[in-house]
Amino acid sequence: MSQQEQLPYLEERKLVKKWRGPIPAIVNLIFTLILFAISWWIFHDPRGIMRFYTPYVGYNYCRWWLIILIWMAYTFDFWPFKKDWVRNAHPIQKGIVLTFVSIALMIFFIHGFFEGVLGNLAFAYFNPAQLQKLGLTEFYSTEYAAQACMMFAVIASWISPAWIVALEGQPWAKSPQPVRGASIWIGTFCLSLLIYFMTMHNHMGILYYPWQYFTAICPPYWENFAQTVSANFHVAWIMCCTVVVWFVEGIWERYPFTLIKRGWLRRLALFAGIIVIAWALCLFFWYMQELVWGEAIRGHRRDAAPDWRWLHVGETAIFFLVPGLFLQFYCGNWPKKFSTPVNMLIRTGIVIAGGIIIYCLYYKYAHFFLGTQKGFSHPQQFPMIPMIWLIDIWLVNWWFMDGWPGWRRELKTAEDFAEETRLAQASQAWRPGMTPGLVAGVVGGLVLYFFMVWLLPICSATFTLVK
Amino acid sequence: MNRREFLKGASLGIGIGMLGGMGFYSYSPMRKAFLPQTERKMTDFGVCKSVKVTNISETSWFDNGIFMKNVSGAGGLLVDQYTFNWAPFGNGKGIGKGSYAEGIAKLKPYIQKGDLHGAWAVAKENSVDADNAGGYSCLVEVEAMDGQVTKYLFDCGWNYDWMEESFKREGIDTMLANNEIAAFIQTHEHMDHYWAFPVVAKYAPNIHIYTPSTFYPPGKQYIKDSGHVGKWTEVKKGLFPLQPGVALYQFECPIIFNVYGEMSMYCNVKDVGLVSITGCCHQGIILFADTAHKELKYEKDAFYGLYGGLHISPFDDWDPKYDDLVIGLKKWNLQRVGCNHCTGLITAQKFVDAGYPVIKGTARFRSKTTNYLGNGDIITFPG
Repeated sequence: MSQQEQLPYLEERKLVKKWRGPIPAIVNLIFTLILFAISWWIFHDPRGIMRFYTPYVGYNYCRWWLIILIWMAYTFDFWPFKKDWVRNAHPIQKGIVLTFVSIALMIFFIHGFFEGVLGNLAFAYFNPAQLQKLGLTEFYSTEYAAQACMMFAVIASWISPAWIVALEGQPWAKSPQPVRGASIWIGTFCLSLLIYFMTMHNHMGILYYPWQYFTAICPPYWENFAQTVSANFHVAWIMCCTVVVWFVEGIWERYPFTLIKRGWLRRLALFAGIIVIAWALCLFFWYMQELVWGEAIRGHRRDAAPDWRWLHVGETAIFFLVPGLFLQFYCGNWPKKFSTPVNMLIRTGIVIAGGIIIYCLYYKYAHFFLGTQKGFSHPQQFPMIPMIWLIDIWLVNWWFMDGWPGWRRELKTAEDFAEETRLAQASQAWRPGMTPGLVAGVVGGLVLYFFMVWLLPICSATFTLVK
Repeated sequence: MNRREFLKGASLGIGIGMLGGMGFYSYSPMRKAFLPQTERKMTDFGVCKSVKVTNISETSWFDNGIFMKNVSGAGGLLVDQYTFNWAPFGNGKGIGKGSYAEGIAKLKPYIQKGDLHGAWAVAKENSVDADNAGGYSCLVEVEAMDGQVTKYLFDCGWNYDWMEESFKREGIDTMLANNEIAAFIQTHEHMDHYWAFPVVAKYAPNIHIYTPSTFYPPGKQYIKDSGHVGKWTEVKKGLFPLQPGVALYQFECPIIFNVYGEMSMYCNVKDVGLVSITGCCHQGIILFADTAHKELKYEKDAFYGLYGGLHISPFDDWDPKYDDLVIGLKKWNLQRVGCNHCTGLITAQKFVDAGYPVIKGTARFRSKTTNYLGNGDIITFPG
């Protein structure tokens, strides 16, 4: 098998803009927003047709569709579809076929595996019918089961791409499909399940009265640190991990971890680095809320509730992922003309600005379009649902449809690969001359951090987002 | 020094510095130095001598399974309540396909004649599970320091038939007709608290009503369509004093079934402390208590007691965050807890398990448990 044949499809393809300037990005944005609006009305909108935004049923589908898309494109490299078909089929044909397959897989995993197998043979809380037998109403049986199932997808959508991005698919990177995909999938699935037991299972253990002392640690071990017994605490940092994985893969180009030339050290450092960066963001997003709304109050039901604050950490992270992916996909990861660290810093600045704009637009106007309620802390509303739904549609458009209609797919040539390698080697190497800048930058970064800390309460006192 | 290399290093350093600050400082005890300081305003709104609350009805619906089946059928907790096809605004098109305009058009001829039984009969024909509707309402009697008693009707329930029966049971119909009730306070727009308003308007069309300023257009129109012709005060966000020792407080918060905003009542009882009276308390009892702590001056600086719904597990549902509330409420050291209604049966049990001074009820008139105050039960502050 040639080197080209072994390359994942997403790496071997080269998407070329059909028109000059920002037109393809604008066209694709309009196209995907139309898909979003139609599908939102059909599936999620509380005024629409199927009204999955109950909220957990819709939330569950959003999250599971995301992880299925990751598994299909990243883990299995579109196997069992033949590479010729993936390369040559029309983007619309591919988009439709692969989307239907992804939805079928999603239904299989949610209703077949989690509800059917685990819910009937292992954990009652995965299965609505089992919960109804125990006396719960149909509505909450469905909601709780969806919540439990969704929580697994939250973890998997961090671990699965992290295995590819950070661990570079090792130790199965050179195996052919489906050995490679199946091995990574089983590995990440088991790891996700393990993390689920230690983060989410305890939440389910205290969801029912009386607390399930014999099957889960109640109250959970994080209670004192997080000021809540809710697993939203874990949702917070795990969501940040998910977002950081895509930042690392996209706008950061795995820099500065690419400076580490020893393979196993780079992989482990990147895997751990994602978690460390995610924790830093997680704690800062928490602090941002304290700076704006004051300290959390345990037992509160609204914007001061610790459980909601942790949830909002994850929600905030997702608001930044949206511009991050847009920049990576539809703006060609602009800019590219500077060195990698400078490009990375500019892109991060753009993503921060974009995330803030989307956050403000969402809370100011989303209730006019999405059928939701205005306000920050509606206990049944999750901004993550529309944001992830939009991301799902972008992934379908970019991965399954090769960026149609604004882009045309070509395959990279040997010259393209050589140029990529040359640029990476030139740009992603440590030089002693960078040391003074690094020291000054660290000091500047700290100053910038404390400037934001100083600025946030002033912004909060000056602007009212939701009137 | 090479400018290009310096910039590369600096770009990387800025990221490391910021992330370092975020990671090491943001959750450390030192972070509190930057947090906004809140000073207690200590607004003096006077004192009253005592408060008595008569529970007219706390049973918003009688069968939770039927109610939640409706919620499932209509599409969940975010669906607009006026579109559920719940009585009285049924249009005969089935669950989730209703509208205020179509519903009220069928009722208006009966409401105008004062035939509320006839109106509800029409509603039953066109709505889903109308017999499951009950309602929440209570009578608040405030004794001023000079001994004069002022009566407030707090919410009016949902089912016309049930609420008229409940009003008659407690003599509310006569009090309304005799103008003995000073004002009607509508805490929020939810169906189980508000949709029986024609019953109030039937007996006292001139009564002074208070609503949050956040009602949606159908909710505002319903006041007029019910035949009310008296004064109507829309209470804006924040404190609204009613009389010495009694004030409303409006919280602008998003609520299930597409409702926005709720107001509750603070009573400052002389030599006793603060008493809160709530409809559903969607803002949360901790926020309600914390707001009082930050804004108001009250006797002995003590949160003495409460009456009403606490909206914790209204559908016999649960979430670990509710445990946070059960745990977090301890610090307020409440002396008399008259919770019921949307507090939920599980919460009441957890309150009892946690040792809170929950006042027991008699479980009469279709109330389900003696764990909390039921229909027809009375609580007084001080006890």
